Amino acid sequence: MNTGFRSQVVPEYRLLTENQIQEFHRAALEVNEKIGARINSEEGVELLKQHGCTVTEGNMVLIPNYLVEECLASAPSRIDIYNRKGEEAMHLEGRNIYFGLGTDLINSYDVYTGEMRPSLLKDAANASRVTDYCSHIDFVSSYALPHDVPTNTAYVESVKTMFENTVKPIFSTAAGLEDLKFIVEMAETVVGGADELRVKPCLIHYSEPTGPLVHSYGAVRKLFYCADKGLPITYAPGDLLGGSAPVTLAGGIVQALAEVQAGIVLHQLRRKGAPIISGWAVVPMDMRTCTLSYGAPEFRLTNSAYSDIFHWYGIPMWSTVGSDAHVFDEQASMEHAFTTLMAALDGANLIHDVGYMGQGLIGNPAMVVMCNEIISYVKRLMRGFEMNREMMAIEEIRKVGAGGTHLAEEYTMKYFKQELWDPALSNRDDIAVWKQKGSCTYSHKVVHKTMEILETHRPEELPGDVKDKLGAIAERADKELAGIHFVA
Amino acid sequence: MSDLYRDLSDAVTAGNTETTKKLVNQALAERTGAQTVLERGLLPGMHVVGERFRSGEMFVPEVLFAARAMRAGMEILRPLLTETGGEATGTVVIGTVQGDHHSIGKNLVAMMLEGAGYRVVDLGIDVTPQTFVQAVSEHKPDIVAMSALLTTTMLRMAETVNALKDAGMRDCVKIMAGGAPVTDEFVKNIGGDGYASNAGAAVDKAKELLGR
Ligand code: B12
Repeated sequence: MNTGFRSQVVPEYRLLTENQIQEFHRAALEVNEKIGARINSEEGVELLKQHGCTVTEGNMVLIPNYLVEECLASAPSRIDIYNRKGEEAMHLEGRNIYFGLGTDLINSYDVYTGEMRPSLLKDAANASRVTDYCSHIDFVSSYALPHDVPTNTAYVESVKTMFENTVKPIFSTAAGLEDLKFIVEMAETVVGGADELRVKPCLIHYSEPTGPLVHSYGAVRKLFYCADKGLPITYAPGDLLGGSAPVTLAGGIVQALAEVQAGIVLHQLRRKGAPIISGWAVVPMDMRTCTLSYGAPEFRLTNSAYSDIFHWYGIPMWSTVGSDAHVFDEQASMEHAFTTLMAALDGANLIHDVGYMGQGLIGNPAMVVMCNEIISYVKRLMRGFEMNREMMAIEEIRKVGAGGTHLAEEYTMKYFKQELWDPALSNRDDIAVWKQKGSCTYSHKVVHKTMEILETHRPEELPGDVKDKLGAIAERADKELAGIHFVA
Repeated sequence: MSDLYRDLSDAVTAGNTETTKKLVNQALAERTGAQTVLERGLLPGMHVVGERFRSGEMFVPEVLFAARAMRAGMEILRPLLTETGGEATGTVVIGTVQGDHHSIGKNLVAMMLEGAGYRVVDLGIDVTPQTFVQAVSEHKPDIVAMSALLTTTMLRMAETVNALKDAGMRDCVKIMAGGAPVTDEFVKNIGGDGYASNAGAAVDKAKELLGR
């Protein structure tokens, strides 16, 4: 990039050429026009019919190309997300990258005992507090599915806990529209009303179609509800290569893109311009074990593909990092490093599942702390460096001269902090000092840092009256949701 | 003749349906009994598959192809076997419980059971307790298998067991359950009979429960 007198050198990566992007786009259009999408919602089907779609057998709705393209155009190209206090937190647009946790982990490690057990509400609280502390993590998610609260209020209780333990924006699922309404009410209460939440959303709802090609009644209901409310929603399919999608990467991409397009059509027809975030998880299925792999290289390729496609569409996108390791070990570190780097190079906007382990089934707050450092590393890398006459330092080279040293120079003083990354936990000690300090492994330092955060970090508290109101909403939710069946 | 059996068992292992059918017919034409074709041709082929899968030499799609070849061979043999008392291994009614749309794991369990010779009635996803009850009265299965991936929908498993009890059908079937959040302990607590953490183990569990 060269803008006259100033130039910034940054790492750049694209996977698809413009021609390849267009070919994927047309292939997905063909799927929607010729094969269609199964919409298991009468209201959804009606809306599509009104706009010129044809309904064939088994609720397969054929969507004409022009309608998809109109809806892609009306979907906003930028979405601003705020924190609990109404301060700007994320500009989801262009190649801006933001990182945050994932939702609903069934198992959690206790950092003190080192044991894995079913997740508890305190795991969500701990993850929120750690996130609040970690300066490179931009948004929070439950990171746990608490087993110590009534099942039907697990999501409501998790969101309440997140609001209590961090100011950062919340990315959350819900079991159905029934509990989502309580979650939204909480967010409205925190920011001071429904209009306030619409203008300054601090909550993003996370929902999904059901691959292959199905949009469930529940998913359509949530799409419509969020469109009506103006609440940002991520609608991203999770398709398994060779399971719920063709095994070829290109085939998986076409199917997922068709599913995303159909979702955007439903959402934008309901209310033009409502905020929607795209993306998908087209994940390989391990053909020996049939488990899915978060850490796999193919997952990175399909992520890169949609990043290029959605940048071309001008629609903000979500992305995924994570690991298949069941314990905080070298594999967990390796996979988080690769996936984080790739998501950043993709220029994906809302990058979730930071700290995810065990193929989407295990959490560990120490992983989050390690990821904070990985993200810090990657952000430094992505910032690149400035390159101009001053930064190329010819004067400085002349001044210090042959055989001199730069350490105590003004120039060094002026620029070292901006130029050189300062890791928080990675070892940079020499061997003797490292031994003096106890020959600690990296994971040992990370676990101790995590304990320190949990023991000392105090997130900014919610105002007392707001806290009470959230308590009252949770109580009401507990009564009204008890024993109901969520409609999926 | 012994070469013919070896070729047949190799065809099954390689998942070659057409060759399997051809060789089964050829063996029968040579006046071999159906039981012998099964025991010396098809079963040894599947046995190799089982061993290779366990030792990590074979991948799941290859196992499913082998099972498909085996089934094609069985289709030819079955009418002849019934005369001599050969029976299908058992019938399984399977579904993902109400409110849950996760189908991949359930489908895999269904395919592996089919591969092992069970007749499988797949009720799909979002299956209510009533639908399970109806399917049991209609298909008279040996096993009811439930899948759930969501903590909220695990509760529907208990409701299904109770619905079967209320309908007086609980004791006619073995009940199996699985899915990521499901545990052995949970299945015991809701009054089920067997849990398995993956599709291969599900087949072993079915065999254990039925003794065949
Ligand atoms: C793919 C996936 C989806 C796909 C499903 C597509 C499809 N057609 O099935 C989509 C995107 C639709 C989806 C949707 C949702 N999902 Co989902 N999903 C997954 C994911 C990533 C993989 C599941 C999978 O297919 N694995 C591969 C198969 C082969 O394995 P399996 O299903 O576990 O099955 C094996 C064993 O469990 C066992 N088994 C399974 N069934 C049975 C039955 C019997 C009888 C036996 C013996 C054994 C057995 O054998 C199988 C084969 O080896 C999991 C994470 C995970 N790792 O499990 C989350 C996960 C299950 N999903 C989750 C959630 C929260 C959701 C949503 C609520 C998200 C949302 N925002 O809306 C929705 C719910 C929709 C609904 N009402 O069902 C959570 C569940 C948490 C919980 N316990 O409540 C998980 C754990 C992810 C997470 N941590 O957030 N999901």
